[in-house]
Amino acid sequence: MTSNSPMRGWHDSIFAAAFFLFMAVFIIFILILLISDIFYIDKKAVIEVITSRYIRHALWMSIWTSFTTAGIALFFAVPTGYVLSRFRFPGHALANSIVDLPIVFPPLVVGLTLLVFFSQTALGRWIQEDLGLEFVFQPKGIVLCQFVAAASLAIRSAKTAFDDVDRRHENVALTLGCTQWGSFRRICLPLAWNGIIAGGILTWARAFGLFGPLMIFVGSFRGRTEVLSTTIFLEQSVGNLEVALAIALLLIFVALIAITVIRLIGGSAVAKL
Amino acid sequence: MIRTEQISFHIGTFALQGVSCQIPTGQYFVLLGPPGSGKTIFLECLCGLKKIDSGRVYIDGREVTALEPRARNIGYVPQDYALFPHLSVEQNIAFGLRVHNFSHKDIMDRVTEIADLLEIRHLLPRRIEGLSGGEKQRVALARALVLQPKVLLLDEPVCALDEATRQEVCAQLFRIQRRLGLTTIHVSHNLEEAFSVADRAAILHQGLLQQVGTLSELLREPNSEFVARFMRCENIFCGQAVPPFLLSQESTGAGSCDTKVKVGNIQLRLSGRYNGQVKFTIRPEDVLVFSGSGDDVQNENVVPARLQRWRDCGSYVRIELDGPVNLVAHMTHAAFAELQAKHRPDVIVMLRPENIHVLPGF
Repeated sequence: MTSNSPMRGWHDSIFAAAFFLFMAVFIIFILILLISDIFYIDKKAVIEVITSRYIRHALWMSIWTSFTTAGIALFFAVPTGYVLSRFRFPGHALANSIVDLPIVFPPLVVGLTLLVFFSQTALGRWIQEDLGLEFVFQPKGIVLCQFVAAASLAIRSAKTAFDDVDRRHENVALTLGCTQWGSFRRICLPLAWNGIIAGGILTWARAFGLFGPLMIFVGSFRGRTEVLSTTIFLEQSVGNLEVALAIALLLIFVALIAITVIRLIGGSAVAKL
Repeated sequence: MIRTEQISFHIGTFALQGVSCQIPTGQYFVLLGPPGSGKTIFLECLCGLKKIDSGRVYIDGREVTALEPRARNIGYVPQDYALFPHLSVEQNIAFGLRVHNFSHKDIMDRVTEIADLLEIRHLLPRRIEGLSGGEKQRVALARALVLQPKVLLLDEPVCALDEATRQEVCAQLFRIQRRLGLTTIHVSHNLEEAFSVADRAAILHQGLLQQVGTLSELLREPNSEFVARFMRCENIFCGQAVPPFLLSQESTGAGSCDTKVKVGNIQLRLSGRYNGQVKFTIRPEDVLVFSGSGDDVQNENVVPARLQRWRDCGSYVRIELDGPVNLVAHMTHAAFAELQAKHRPDVIVMLRPENIHVLPGF
């Protein structure tokens, strides 16, 4: 065991051991859950998951929609987080609270709200009918649904990350010839990058596993608006519990790979900014 | 040259109130003041990092009040240096040059030149993390100087350093300032720092510039009780000037320009003419202490006293004296040893009229 602080006595050992115990209990509990899933599924379920073109389609839908959502969320999160962190304006506290609202929305409410907006309001109908941007029961709706449910996480992380960047760094950059944009791009963004990436991962993870609002807003049409999370629901609702669990394990496996890759890419990207 | 005219700025309940000063080209100017007095805000106003409410800022005769920080040609080293932690030392120093699109060769030449000047060439490939305080300070200075600014603003540049490094860095700052002929403002709350570098200094308190002058002027001729106390003068007294008609010819002296002031039950002679109530200061190092008792007191401005406490302050001994007026004196170790204070606590104290400074406007 290594630690940044030196161990000095038996009470320090007890302190560290107690904290390690909490971590170990959590990790073991999660692993036990996964292992019990693995033991539950059978070979037939695995083969079905691998060979089913609907499941492959749902996997692909899950991946592209969640990454698109994370990308759009970050695109909004960086400027929004920066504004909330750096500027004081009338209504700042209210804006800060509204940004957090979707985090506390019950997931089903997100779907219902979107459905009401696009079917019952003039603006929503205008977007769908006149602009031709159809979301309800469409793949685009998956992204919108995920965005509404998860973007707040990216914004909150970005704001916290910008809060942690000492403003004096930007001030020095300004005296060294940078414009506001230059000091943001060259100094603030790279220093906040890890926090922004963490927010991106949270957003992606939330989007990837989103289920409730999708069932209401876009449904789960095989080969069209079906994603892995809704596939799991459909499979278990018709009694295919083994297949549902196999898909769940596939979802977890993909998530694990994706989070690792995002961390690696995010870490190396900071040097290029 | 830096000139400010009536700079005012407020933030929350704090306000800079009409700060005006002029710092000639090539001068090393130290802005002193207790924490929270507005020193950093004043520097940020000069840099353009804070938009002033009113007033004007001139740098080398050009008004820069409305200019952005990048257009003011100012080298700025903030407190704790604010080095960019995601960049190497070389990248930190070259930052301004890259922003200004210098060629790679020019960047390398200038970075090497400034690194040599500050003796940090060996640090160029290193990351910021892991540098010592003194190294960080020099890197921050190099980053500020590499663009060859007209003025250099240093915000508490050595406060994070240990005593020995602080003296070394102050000496280096002074050498570099002289070599480059830079007009420099150095913000500090530390008097020793000011003594090691300042050509001239000012004291800021609660957003108001209290006094500007050489350190000798601030020491010997403070214009307020605050300045006197900030300059560590502990002997501040109030007295009543004795009207001349109450004094005999002998005691005033024919044609005398002095004033007698009654303090407690003694009279002190002060240089100059004063009326009514006066407040005056005597620097601790100007309080002359001799062994002897009250019987020896024959001259004016010589009072008996008793040593109450003394403390070794390193380069001097601080002594507290009880008497008709309670005084603090600073003595050399040799002079204090001669007093034999343990055995003979009774002393006489001489306060020369020319060492007594009357605070104006009291």
